[in-house]
Amino acid sequence: MDKLFVIAIGGTGMRCLESFTHLCGIGMFDNREIEVLTLDTDQNNGNKSKVEDLIGLYNRIKTTGATTGGTANANTFFSAKLNLHRFFTNYASPGRETYKNITKISTGTREQQKANKLISDLFLDTSSVQEFSLAHGYRAQTHLGSMLMYHGIVEAARNILKGTAVQAQERELDSFMGKMESAGGNARIFIFGSVFGGTGASSIPVIPKALQDFVQIRSNGNSSIDFSKAKFGSTLLTEYFTFNKPDSKQKSSKAESVIADSSFFPLNSQAALQYYQSDPTVQKCYRSLYHIGWPIESKKIDGNNSSNKTITGGSEQRNPCHVTELLCACAAYDFFTRNDGINNATVDYLYKAVEFKDNSFNFSFADFIGKEHKAGEIFVNKLGAFFSLAHISLTTNSGAVDDAGIKGFITRCESQKLHQYSSITDAECKDINEYFKLFAYTFKDGKFVPGWLYQVRGSVAPGRFLFASKAFPENQTELKRLDVGTIFLDEKHHWPKGGFLNNRYDVFVGKLINTNPKEEQKVNTTKEKFLAHIFNALTKSQNFDIN
Amino acid sequence: MESTSAYVISIITALIFLLLSAFVANAIKFEGGGNPKDPQSRKTWFWILAIINPAVCFLMGYFVFKPDANIMIVNNYVNALSIGTAIGFFIYIALGFIMSKMFANGKIGHWF
Repeated sequence: MDKLFVIAIGGTGMRCLESFTHLCGIGMFDNREIEVLTLDTDQNNGNKSKVEDLIGLYNRIKTTGATTGGTANANTFFSAKLNLHRFFTNYASPGRETYKNITKISTGTREQQKANKLISDLFLDTSSVQEFSLAHGYRAQTHLGSMLMYHGIVEAARNILKGTAVQAQERELDSFMGKMESAGGNARIFIFGSVFGGTGASSIPVIPKALQDFVQIRSNGNSSIDFSKAKFGSTLLTEYFTFNKPDSKQKSSKAESVIADSSFFPLNSQAALQYYQSDPTVQKCYRSLYHIGWPIESKKIDGNNSSNKTITGGSEQRNPCHVTELLCACAAYDFFTRNDGINNATVDYLYKAVEFKDNSFNFSFADFIGKEHKAGEIFVNKLGAFFSLAHISLTTNSGAVDDAGIKGFITRCESQKLHQYSSITDAECKDINEYFKLFAYTFKDGKFVPGWLYQVRGSVAPGRFLFASKAFPENQTELKRLDVGTIFLDEKHHWPKGGFLNNRYDVFVGKLINTNPKEEQKVNTTKEKFLAHIFNALTKSQNFDIN
Repeated sequence: MESTSAYVISIITALIFLLLSAFVANAIKFEGGGNPKDPQSRKTWFWILAIINPAVCFLMGYFVFKPDANIMIVNNYVNALSIGTAIGFFIYIALGFIMSKMFANGKIGHWF
């Protein structure tokens, strides 16, 4: 079995990783331990901290006692074990803020300085590109970004080799690379990032080569990554959102002289695709490249930002999730699970289409995962079960307003004289509730806040998206009226009605009482058994039999 | 003969009430939240019916099934009915307890 690695680069890469983490949360990566690397120039980026917090929460849910991050399980929620590694190219220290500073153009002999300036001016605009602040990424200047990202990774390898003043993020990169090196030809590495923006677009072409050189430098030439064996895959994610155009006032300072302009994203995408189609290095390094895009008018992501200021990065940059990011996560699923064509010597360009009717996309489960090996059915069951559980915890058990949430299940089990889960603490329940809030929705100060799945669905609306429209209520009255057993579009997956005396929820609790975790689910701790138990009850209620 | 009828009436009434109690327990829906009230409702209904059972048993035995005979037979019948009512009360509780333990994880498990 191949060892799995995920690298998320830049703001868009982080959001794709968020979707990927939710796929792990619903249980799509059974029995897998996945190494995750977040790679950015902007260590305070909101999207980055959001996904890192999410993975932290995921790991707290899986942690019991000294087993940090838990173990891999099967056919249950949170079945994959995720190991997070964080690396960022440091542009915050003095002397590292801009290209001009970091490359030390003005040092050395007069002749060297002259040569440095000439070669820099040849490729990079003198007063803007060479002098804008790198703290918020490469701002769609991919020619600069590729060079600096490569430099950042190679610099980390050199520092580790020297062994002096090694930064924490460099140690984390080293740990990630150590695992990739150990996996050797059994490594499957999937890279998330856009091809139209800044950091991701800059990095995707150079990352395999940069990682190869990292291993070579750190091992003093004794080791390397063999591109004929290690399998790299990535998405070619073209533009799917726009944002406010910067005004001249914002661009007046040198540090802000270059700001990505979303009106150029289609052009950037077109140029990038031409490059990925023909570049021999890309063709040599990558096995699979997935074309993903949004071929209709892109939605504005900063609709609430009424000023003419573009949010270039930092903690403010927390963009809503989009269905294309979920498709990227599903591309990673395909790359990690496929056997056909994965050992081809040349790159495979993969794509598919989705039904487009009445100016909207209509998504079905098969559009995301496919149908092979019951994959579509497994996806329906697992996403449906997790969404149902989120609704039971947040809606039925009022977890969205900080009431019982998942603790309600333990209370229910106790009142049915099933005491095996009573040792799960309130703090552990709170973590699971927090995850559901990020997954589905929550209320803050009485105001509805959509979570990941609601946001993804919002990006598709009014088109069809996996579940019935009534499964996405946004106010307390409609939420209270929601019948959690009827969220599917296909009625065959609705929970049984319950007859004369009972309702659907009664039938579900009945199944919860009469179900247990199974040995093949490989669950050991009380928390794992509890989640597997609920998973089994939901699976049965939804009329699936995938165990 | 009349005494036997009194005991039969008591036992049948107790069983009918037990059945009614089970029906009520199943008709009460499972509630969500951190403090669901449904287990207490089932328990309350079980004890309400436990109290109503002897009253109904005695009143029905006295006014509906009392034999039209001499005072001695009637007195024997009423004595048997009183004892039967008490026995019916304990049968209701004893069978309720056994059923509650047999189906401890279900709705009627909330009786005890």
